Amino acid sequence: MTPPRTVVLDNEAVHALRSTDHAKHPRVIAHVQVVAQRKRKAIPLDVVVPTAVRVEAGWDRRTPAAALVNHLRISDMPLESASANVAADLVARLDVSVADAHIGATVHAVADRGPVTILTSDPDDMAAVVDPVPATIVTI
Amino acid sequence: MNRRDVITRIGSLLDAPDGRTVGTSMRIPEALRDAAALAVEHLHVAPSTTALTAGALRSRLEAVVLQAALDSHYREHPKARPSLSDLAVAAAQLDGHPLASRPAVLRRAADAVVKSHPDADADDVLLWAEAQAAVVR
Repeated sequence: MTPPRTVVLDNEAVHALRSTDHAKHPRVIAHVQVVAQRKRKAIPLDVVVPTAVRVEAGWDRRTPAAALVNHLRISDMPLESASANVAADLVARLDVSVADAHIGATVHAVADRGPVTILTSDPDDMAAVVDPVPATIVTI
Repeated sequence: MNRRDVITRIGSLLDAPDGRTVGTSMRIPEALRDAAALAVEHLHVAPSTTALTAGALRSRLEAVVLQAALDSHYREHPKARPSLSDLAVAAAQLDGHPLASRPAVLRRAADAVVKSHPDADADDVLLWAEAQAAVVR
């Protein structure tokens, strides 16, 4: 079993991380804690958030409410030109949201680094947007 | 500087572009320096000993600051601290491990492992549970 090289967050995962009152907060924090344990063992592992997901989730890094999630070493994946093309194609073909399409484009972009895992509340849409890239989809 | 400010500042520094470099007066053991030079020259682990040192330091700081942020969060919200069994399930899910669909097995494994290895982590539990499952098959 190969651990993921990249973990991608969807809107619900971001909400769960940001709010301690969210029912899924402990579950997603557990995933981040595993990431921390693996980083301590020098296992390369990045947690990323597509910027369109950040917009949809209302995660403004400048606000005090974002203090916890800002500290968890979660990198932005910008919607640059190449990703925008992939995302636009996904929206046209699958009628998914821009944020979900950006997740798909992100998975396509990072797949060459190693295995990818997505934390999501919408496994069906995620399976559609990552295809044909193999990704582990964790339903939170 | 309070702990939260320190975590924020370290995070900002880690995110800063790598363009500027500085010479430092940092002293490291001679043997470690020589080992790093050999690893770079003969094992090609990095383009230079400087790159190897900076990469290792960055990796360590990434881990330290993430754990510090989580520890601060657990202090403020003790209920958010995951148990070893929670972590084992999370690890299995992240890896797409077949045992992810058998959380009860992982929770029993965590209970068993922690009795003899109180410092075990999620991957220890996952490995133990996988080995147990292989023996039973």
